[in-house]
Amino acid sequence: MKASWTILPFPCESSLTDRRALRKDLLTALRASGSPVIVDFSACRTLNYEDIDLLLECVAQAAGRETKVLFVAGSRVNRVLLEVTRISSLVPVFNSVEEALAYPQVAAEDACEDRRAS
Amino acid sequence: MELGAVLVVPAEGGIAAVREAGSRAMTAPENSRPLYSSRVPILGNDVLRSWMERVRKLGVPSVWLTSSPSDESVAGSVLAGFARQGVERLLVIKLESYAELDLADLLRFHCEKRNPVTQAQDARGQLGISFLDHLALRTAGEKYERPGAATDRRRADYQFSGYAKRILSASERQELVRDALTGACAIRPLGTEIQEQVWIGEGAKLANSVRVIGPTYIGARTIVRAGATIGPFASVEPDCVVDCGTTVERSTVLPYTYLAPGLFIRHGLVDGGHLEDLDWGTVADLHPAGLGSRIHRLEERRQAFSKTATDIFSRAAKASSRSFTLPPTASQPWVQVRL
Repeated sequence: MKASWTILPFPCESSLTDRRALRKDLLTALRASGSPVIVDFSACRTLNYEDIDLLLECVAQAAGRETKVLFVAGSRVNRVLLEVTRISSLVPVFNSVEEALAYPQVAAEDACEDRRAS
Repeated sequence: MELGAVLVVPAEGGIAAVREAGSRAMTAPENSRPLYSSRVPILGNDVLRSWMERVRKLGVPSVWLTSSPSDESVAGSVLAGFARQGVERLLVIKLESYAELDLADLLRFHCEKRNPVTQAQDARGQLGISFLDHLALRTAGEKYERPGAATDRRRADYQFSGYAKRILSASERQELVRDALTGACAIRPLGTEIQEQVWIGEGAKLANSVRVIGPTYIGARTIVRAGATIGPFASVEPDCVVDCGTTVERSTVLPYTYLAPGLFIRHGLVDGGHLEDLDWGTVADLHPAGLGSRIHRLEERRQAFSKTATDIFSRAAKASSRSFTLPPTASQPWVQVRL
């Protein structure tokens, strides 16, 4: 079965190059499939202003498209920071990739893909 | 001297912590855990001052202030020192709680029960308020400090069923703020009530587009910029800056805190660059993300401090002419304040 979602690891303590790469990957993922994109920053201990900036850019890139973007925060600290910056009111946030995959819209995409394949 | 009083400010550090208790929150280094100091104001009110006022009403001429880690009590040798200097009964208050307790009633209970030690407690445990009589003071060096020692058997517990909150807990502190804003306890916000259940401290500046939802308190000299929303159940303590579009609800912002634009602070306690989420108990560092920080305004800090703590300690200097001397063999810092 072909995975109908894309998981992008978020570059923790990212350099400019990493951020550019993620931005490019994200744009590619959004253009390519229209299926949900999961940005996973569960490996990040905390988020600095560049990380927040990049996450906001992810939200902005996804805005107005049909493609759904989901964030995997990992820690409670990251979740608090997403709430404080209001990002969590724009994008669904999960504790783990597994939780994100169980999100109804992701699961629905999967079911859709399965039906198309059969 | 028959009745003495000791107020213990739970703190780390030595004499500086006592002398500068009022400014501790302001001088906390970045990237440290928030300090829920008992000296941090609650709706502009100084809990230490309120306890001192109540001790004064009890007829005690002066109090001794000291600082010790929150999990330690006053050293037994110091208590014995009070006994040697003629103190018959000593009231010891650890500044960990806000309790609307009648000290005169506690004293009456202590005298009636004739136990060497009387400790006030509520349903959740000890409140950090005790009376010790001469015998307890004399034997304190070895017995009072040790749980289960002989003195414990002669300890009476004063059951308090009135209003009490542990102010060193962020969530209980927020409950206290909520209760004070709604009149459920005796604390009143220090400011002018500009509309129903909305208090503003002296010199606070609010942009025209700021939305204030009561019950709410905005402390003295705090600046709230355009588009911000404060409340309900919010307390922004003195000398803070809340930048454009930020929302603070069901939360407390401690003094000298800057909050960046566009934030959403809900059910939290912010102290400089740190936010404690009261639902999860998680402490997030806002500083690396540029979301919040400590305001360092040394001159203004000195001025604000001089209004609160310095006058207390200047009275301490005057009191030094009294015949009562510092307790001998004290390893803790001590300051005597005439009431």
